[in-house]
Amino acid sequence: MAYDKPLPSPDENTQPFFDGLKDHKLLLQYFPSADHYQYPYSDRCYKDWSTDWEWRESAGNGEVYTWVRMHQLYHPSWKAEIPYTLAVVQLDEGPRMHTNLVNVPVEEVHVGLRVKVAFDDVTDEFTLPKFEPA
Amino acid sequence: MSDPIRGQTAICGLGITEMGKVYGHDASWFAGESIRLAVEDAGLNKDDIDGLLVNPGITGMMGTGISIPLQGYLGLRNLRLLNHMNSFGATASAMVQYAAFAVHHGMANYVACIFSDAPLQQGGSAGAAYGGAGRRGPTGMASLMPAFGFYGANTSYALAARRYMERYGITNNDLGRVSVTQRRYAVDNPHATMRQPLTLEDYHNSRWIVEPFHLLDCCLVSNGAVCTIVTTAERARDLKSSPAYVWGMGQGHPGNFPHAEVEVGTTSGATIAGETAYKMAGVGPDDVDICEFYDCYTYTVLRTIEDYGLAKPGEAIGLYPEDPADPEAELPTINTGGGQLSSYYMWGMTPISEGVIQARGSGGDRQIEKNDIVLCSGNGGTLDTHGTLILSPNAN
Repeated sequence: MAYDKPLPSPDENTQPFFDGLKDHKLLLQYFPSADHYQYPYSDRCYKDWSTDWEWRESAGNGEVYTWVRMHQLYHPSWKAEIPYTLAVVQLDEGPRMHTNLVNVPVEEVHVGLRVKVAFDDVTDEFTLPKFEPA
Repeated sequence: MSDPIRGQTAICGLGITEMGKVYGHDASWFAGESIRLAVEDAGLNKDDIDGLLVNPGITGMMGTGISIPLQGYLGLRNLRLLNHMNSFGATASAMVQYAAFAVHHGMANYVACIFSDAPLQQGGSAGAAYGGAGRRGPTGMASLMPAFGFYGANTSYALAARRYMERYGITNNDLGRVSVTQRRYAVDNPHATMRQPLTLEDYHNSRWIVEPFHLLDCCLVSNGAVCTIVTTAERARDLKSSPAYVWGMGQGHPGNFPHAEVEVGTTSGATIAGETAYKMAGVGPDDVDICEFYDCYTYTVLRTIEDYGLAKPGEAIGLYPEDPADPEAELPTINTGGGQLSSYYMWGMTPISEGVIQARGSGGDRQIEKNDIVLCSGNGGTLDTHGTLILSPNAN
């Protein structure tokens, strides 16, 4: 069956990030003047207001900051998945990402669980950065 | 030591429209009803109103909410103060604060602060009314949210709640104790939408929305409006209804930074806002008689209790009886009208309206006897913004 869930909609600024995902690389914005990794995308560092930054590849390691089980159906394409596990993962570089947890029974999910990125090539065009136990 | 402005201003009029599944009217209509009721409550005339502050709810994001044109709709021709304000759930207290400073310094005499919303459509669900607003197709990294299956405020708050619950060992049964407690108050509140008594069993049997939240952890969605009229203590004294004097005001906005350096879920702006308001009022947590706390979710109440210093971190649940449905159980004097969970969801005006009622002593069967210090909170975003009002029946 064709993938029918909502797909990302890259814009000019975030296209490199989505291209990176396709290459199974998790890219973060790195602002050297504040030695700060930032996510999601912004054209300015919120720490020192610098606009000077570069993409850097994340090691893709982190821990579950918090998590939930989604039971409510907001979009029909999720019907077969409900309930599914959503999480916020705190990357070792600092930023926190909203994501899906995969390859883990719900009984084993908890705050602090060590995880690593698991790239999911959901279509030919798009890859999603999900996470699984490290 | 308190600030000289303590007790110098007051809420002199309160208008609460019919609430809930009231169909066939837009947000302007409800706003009109609320100001009519508030002016009547205060014993004023329409032309006395010389200040108008408005806060639209979710309909503001849909393009059908109240804004500056409300002036024309209401025919207010004497305005010396006018603004559309929005820091989400913290706005209602911010409007009263702005109004209080304005009347205190002579910029206006009677400022109407209105929250109005009408998201519910006949035949549509509350989830559709709120979740629908987020379905406009975000771009960039934000587009990953629907791609992962994140939808709505329920999810954001459930994430915050989970972190709090795991950190302090709080269970779903604990959240249920908050829900059942508030319903007991709502039973005695004629303005409340949900007045059927609840048990913990009912709570556990209510369907999951986003685990750890059951349906009965989540606030209502309501059509309706609340208007409060703010004036000076001197003017309020001679009006028709008892004033709720403003003793303390504060704000605290931690924002939401998705980064390791900022803790989310176990802190809110109440810590900063509360400290500011306590200082202005010259009171502390031990002096608080009644709390009217923004309760978008059961969890938010526990978090807020702790951030105002009324319990140690993780210990707010200790204020609630094991089984609040037990008629012998003594309830904490928190969210005495049923709150947003059981009475009506008017963002920050829900706590303020019940705060005014309690400060006036007009709460009927749900009136709390000792009402000298009433602490009201407003909370917006996902614990991003926060506003505090401390109200009292006493000018001094």
